[in-house]
Amino acid sequence: MTITTIDAMILDRLHAILDEDGAVLTNKSSRFNRARVPAPFPVHRWEEFIPDVVVLPRTTEHVAQIVRLANEFAIPIVPRAGGTGLADGAVPMRGGIVVDIKRMDQIKEIDLVNNTVTVGPGINMQTLNRSLKPHGVIYPDDPASYACALVGGRIGTSGLSLLGARYGHTRDLVISFEIVTPTGEVIEVGDGGGRKIRKSSTGYHLKHLFMGHQGTLGIVTEATLELVPRAEAEFAAFFLFEDYDTAYRTFANLAKSGLATLGGVMMFDPEKVDYLRRDDEAYIIQPEWVKAVCAASLFGTKIEVEAAAPKVMELGRSLGGRYIGDEIASGDWAARHDRYANPLHGRDKNGNVTPMSWHCEDAAIPYSEVPAVLRKWHTIARKYCDQYDIFDDWGAFQYTNGAHKPWADVLVEIDMGLWEDRMDEESWQAFVSLKREIAQVAIDHGGSMSSCHGATRAGDAELVPTEMGASWEVMKTIKRALDPNNVMNPGKQSLDEAYRKVTR
Amino acid sequence: MSSEYRFGRFVPTEQGPPEPQRITEQVIQRFEHVFEVDPAAMGTHFHQQQMPNWDTKRIVAARSDHLDAVHHEFADEVILAGEGPDSGPASSQLPPQASSTTHMARATD
Repeated sequence: MTITTIDAMILDRLHAILDEDGAVLTNKSSRFNRARVPAPFPVHRWEEFIPDVVVLPRTTEHVAQIVRLANEFAIPIVPRAGGTGLADGAVPMRGGIVVDIKRMDQIKEIDLVNNTVTVGPGINMQTLNRSLKPHGVIYPDDPASYACALVGGRIGTSGLSLLGARYGHTRDLVISFEIVTPTGEVIEVGDGGGRKIRKSSTGYHLKHLFMGHQGTLGIVTEATLELVPRAEAEFAAFFLFEDYDTAYRTFANLAKSGLATLGGVMMFDPEKVDYLRRDDEAYIIQPEWVKAVCAASLFGTKIEVEAAAPKVMELGRSLGGRYIGDEIASGDWAARHDRYANPLHGRDKNGNVTPMSWHCEDAAIPYSEVPAVLRKWHTIARKYCDQYDIFDDWGAFQYTNGAHKPWADVLVEIDMGLWEDRMDEESWQAFVSLKREIAQVAIDHGGSMSSCHGATRAGDAELVPTEMGASWEVMKTIKRALDPNNVMNPGKQSLDEAYRKVTR
Repeated sequence: MSSEYRFGRFVPTEQGPPEPQRITEQVIQRFEHVFEVDPAAMGTHFHQQQMPNWDTKRIVAARSDHLDAVHHEFADEVILAGEGPDSGPASSQLPPQASSTTHMARATD
């Protein structure tokens, strides 16, 4: 277990490794600001999550030396990219060293012949695409956090892209990457051995092991990414429904249409529509008869998108859906990153507007199970909202989850507001309990409790063994083999269990 | 960058916001298609302030700029269906449609 206190000797060693002013930070603001991420946080216990020191390396060798030092003294290490995750992957559970990779933000190579770009993990996708646009290509990894998430964090979480049905998600768009293992070795992982190879049958495909590791299996130091021809055209259409069931069936009609240019299909449930009516920062008028919304987007060449758009209109209306109109449709689609930009608020029991932080459960659910899951989730949410005046149900949306497979499973997110400033230990434990109940429903219905954020938080982490089933033992074996001293992001995903001695 | 006088020449006497018009139980508007959560519901936990008209216009324009930028980030051209909104059910009337560039100019402390 990692227990070493960081003293002057350790700090001197870190300074010697990084040898740059401002690369080793011990001041309060640098450490406090890296204690949390946007997800709801127990502010009443802030001090438990503050790291001892923050380091900002620039090279792979820096990172490797830092990790080796951590192993030498059994110091916890927590990799941190943008800190925009929603499952506490970058939250230090035991102090230690936060390795902030934002200075590793270089574009190292743009290869327009093989359609790859090689970058440091600290680069943001929007910044990267600014350099790529003059070449007519794009790296189309498009989360809601597009403007602030970093490539390294996207790999750490195996993120979901809102254009995933068309271009794939992070795991499909990252071809290979370099990673410093928990013992300080530098390895490259991909499909086979070639950095720019997309498909191979040589060896074990270790890229998939390290993709989505939540910072528990190493620190990414370089990545080679797909370059996709820029879309000539996009199209988005929103359809309004008088009931959820019709919207749900229309979702399937669109998702299974066979249209190759589908970027994604999305749905809002009645509780989400109610929330949008009262508290959406980009409010649009929703008549009372609107109970659900279904939308689809297309991306591709102009001839493809122009040909497919009428089919989307036909399918959206096929069961009675009503088109929202051009002006609102295009604006609503462009507003898909809003949740990372807008100040959020909810309501207390008296209907007063209160400042709230945003929590979302992000389960992956088989399409057939979605209505039942939503009914149970809202029942759970209502129970906690009734009991505690710090929760607010902001409804749920559904999104096509399969990379290149819009007909596949569904990302189902219930959004809840939490009045963090009013939380105490009792209400925090209630939040953890709420999360656990919601996650259990996802597992009970053949789903995964996390499509894209990770299952690293209390409320999810204790259910990782349940969801993994028999492969939990394999997961622990791998963790123990790669990280014998449990220095790499300890305390996440219940993986401390890998180090407990079994009493026979 | 904004064109000269994009938000109108600043005239101090013209900065007081107009009286609100109620849209729903929860929402008011002072400018066409610029919606706000009813300040009466905000006051318990958010101090209220009067936003000068120039600032409201700036925020709305910034929202429009942002939406345009997101479109152009991922595609060269936005294709539209070329249609307005469908009629609602016979039992209800759709209110006038709002611009997609509306932004809730919310008075906050």
